Amino acid sequence: MVETILFYGFAALILISALLMIIAPNIYHSALFLALCLFGVAGIYVVLNSYFLAGIQVLVYIGAVVVLALFVINLTRRILDVDSDQHNEQLLPAVIISGLTAFLIISAVLKTNWGTMIAHRVAQDNTALTGRLLLNEFVLPFEIVSVLLLAALIGAISIVAGDKGAQK
Amino acid sequence: MTITLAHYVVLSALLFAIGIIGILTRRNAIGILMSLELLFNAAAINMVAFSKYLTPSEIYGDIFTIFIIAIAAAESVLGLAIILAMFRKRETVNADEMNIMKY
Amino acid sequence: MEQLNVLGLAIPALPLLAFLLITAITAKKKMLSAVLSISCIFASFLISVYLLILQLKAGHGASYEFSFPWLFLGDVKMSLGILINPLTTVMLIVVTTVSMLVQIYSIGYMKGDYAFSRFFSYISLFSFSMLGIVVANNLIQMYIFWELVGLCSYLLIGFWWFKPEAAEASKKAFIVTRFGDFGFLVGILILSYITGTFNFAEIQAQINAGLISPGLLTVIALLLFSGAVGKSAQFPLHVWLPDAMEGPTPVSALIHAATMVAAGVFMVARLFGIFSASPHAMLVIAYLGGFTAIFAATIALTQNDIKRVLAFSTLSQLGYMMLAMGIGGYTSGMFHLTTHAFFKALLFLGAGSVIHAVHTNDIQLMGGLHKKMPITSITFLIASLSIAGIFPLSGFWSKDEILVNIMESGHMGLYYVAAATAFLTAFYMFRLYLMTFTGKPRDAHAYEHAHESPLTMTVPLMILAVLSIVTGFAGIPGKEQSFYNFLFFGAHPHETHFNMGVALSSSAIAVSGIALALLMYAFGLIKPEAVKNASGPLYKLSYNKYYIDEIYMFFIKNGFFVIASAVKWFDRHVVDGAVNLVAFLCRWAGSKLRLTVNGGVQSYALIIFGGLVFIAAVFAVWNPDALKLLGGR
Repeated sequence: MVETILFYGFAALILISALLMIIAPNIYHSALFLALCLFGVAGIYVVLNSYFLAGIQVLVYIGAVVVLALFVINLTRRILDVDSDQHNEQLLPAVIISGLTAFLIISAVLKTNWGTMIAHRVAQDNTALTGRLLLNEFVLPFEIVSVLLLAALIGAISIVAGDKGAQK
Repeated sequence: MTITLAHYVVLSALLFAIGIIGILTRRNAIGILMSLELLFNAAAINMVAFSKYLTPSEIYGDIFTIFIIAIAAAESVLGLAIILAMFRKRETVNADEMNIMKY
Repeated sequence: MEQLNVLGLAIPALPLLAFLLITAITAKKKMLSAVLSISCIFASFLISVYLLILQLKAGHGASYEFSFPWLFLGDVKMSLGILINPLTTVMLIVVTTVSMLVQIYSIGYMKGDYAFSRFFSYISLFSFSMLGIVVANNLIQMYIFWELVGLCSYLLIGFWWFKPEAAEASKKAFIVTRFGDFGFLVGILILSYITGTFNFAEIQAQINAGLISPGLLTVIALLLFSGAVGKSAQFPLHVWLPDAMEGPTPVSALIHAATMVAAGVFMVARLFGIFSASPHAMLVIAYLGGFTAIFAATIALTQNDIKRVLAFSTLSQLGYMMLAMGIGGYTSGMFHLTTHAFFKALLFLGAGSVIHAVHTNDIQLMGGLHKKMPITSITFLIASLSIAGIFPLSGFWSKDEILVNIMESGHMGLYYVAAATAFLTAFYMFRLYLMTFTGKPRDAHAYEHAHESPLTMTVPLMILAVLSIVTGFAGIPGKEQSFYNFLFFGAHPHETHFNMGVALSSSAIAVSGIALALLMYAFGLIKPEAVKNASGPLYKLSYNKYYIDEIYMFFIKNGFFVIASAVKWFDRHVVDGAVNLVAFLCRWAGSKLRLTVNGGVQSYALIIFGGLVFIAAVFAVWNPDALKLLGGR
């Protein structure tokens, strides 16, 4: 029962904040709604008993990605933009396409026999297991992702700084 | 009323659909990037939910989600860096104004 | 027998090797190229001699054949192979000997030419192709090499491509022979379609078994013969050969006198089983050959270019051989081919020596060269006597045998034609000889600078002169070990006997021809000018080669060009129009569609997502079960 309430609560939070995020006329508000939405996703992870994942979601997404986005918004803000239209003229086809996507997925879900699948509650915290898996079975993808992050870091610096050098 | 896997899948489908609308309609390139994050999260919710319901003793869905988060972070860093560089050159962050690569 | 495989293949393969090596490696080193080419052909010559000795020991019946499969096209099996029999060995000896001597001669003649190595590479390629025709044991292989010699002929006629006449002549040779080759190819295809094989022996077996209807066989024989008409320059496809004299003289000697043009005669000999099974085709061959013989001889009377006289003489002699073939004189035709190869090569090389000395082709500017170049003069005289048919030179024996054969066949009209040709031959050869080597020099400047050619040129002349004398002795009628008992068609050698009447009359004809020439050009008793004026239009007709070229040009201009311009119009407006329409439609559609490429990321994304969802929706409608995840409900 608690799970049901939590799920619907977080689902409503995610969907409402996501909707507000895409329709918010101000990009700054939009980013804040994104943070809220991601927080809701973290809550869903909690409902699914993935506490460690929920932590990462909050730390990395809300703490890093959204904050970075806010920084960039601040750096690129112009007075002109505040009043200008934040949406292009593709709204109607976009709504049709996304509606069709959702319809297809949901109709697939409704046609599917989910049987007796219910969440198996894993009582103990799975953080230790996650750590073991990452450093044993998934060590190679783990290392590759770390290299990817390093490359992204260097790439981001060179893109932003290289532009400065060219202007000199 | 118990929460089944179908609930999570429907939630992720709706989140995905909202993300698509955002990608297709936001003029601000940062807005497009943020909408992309919604798509990532929709996929991540699916990963975790399927993992929990189909193979409860394994946590491979969690591991994949960790990778998704890491890669999404890398993606947004690069995307934002490009937007920043673009802004310096063209004085705009609107995607529909960055259209010099046309016919 | 294993060694025969290797040897038989080595004969054509060696010149090919020389061609490849010269082209790839030694092109810069002139003498090395020449030595390479000559040593390869010399090796081929030695092998040919060895094979000839083997064949002579084995006697007539022995023929050795070896083939391996090459290409399978559906049910059609094509093989490559070699066939060694008396005909092959005789022809091998002729080709390798003349080719070798001509190449030695070319060292002197082509000295200082900018493309010395290229010349030898082409000659090697030609030797390869010609030997390939000779050893071929099936029609398709023969046809391949047949076309290859045509290519070599084209390359070598146009060797001095910067001369417009040479370029024109090479094109003419290639195109005119193509008419004949087309018929040849059609004939080969019909024949192989009926018999299901390309192999000579298998075709022969089917003909002997009477599996092909006589009417069809006549058609096939005439089609095959059209190839020989083109290659051996018989009327009406003779027009390319005189023009081919624009090539270097050694080329004329090798290709356009001794070997390639004789390939047509050789082909008739090789396929004699097919031709002899069709009396009508044989009659056509005989009459066409006879007509060409006298037709070309009358043109040769009035030509002033030393090489052209010899070219028309070649035409005439080839006609003689065809005539011999046509009346069933297989052996005598081949014998004349052999002797002719030697004395005609000698004549051409002698002419080349003269041209080398005086730098002109026009005999009206020569004269008195005997003093300056005695070796050339004497060898030329020997060859002239030989071709005129003077006892005991080789031409006497071979020509005489043809005349005997014609007489025995009962075609008296052809006999008179052949006799008249012999008279004309003797006359024009001595007109040529006398105007070139005797009398007073008509061009003092050219005479002053004339000199005997170097040894590389005169030695081949002397060897060929010896061959021109002695080859005839191989074919003395009635002898047990003669040419006639070695090379013949059918089960038994053709009965040969010395016909004293024919011999005497032909000698008398030859001598009278020579005498007339002497009277006109040596003693001046009959003024050539007077004869020319007396004959009036006849002289002009002969001098202008019966206007055959002009007639062809008339038909080409008024027939061919009209058709060509109609085809051109069709091509320009209908075919190109269709192509342009397609291009225009593409451009038009592109100009409209490019508006979708507006550079906006989001419109691209819309199209991508839209397309994806559309496809998914189509799948879902088409097969609703596709939406059932996990096996469905």
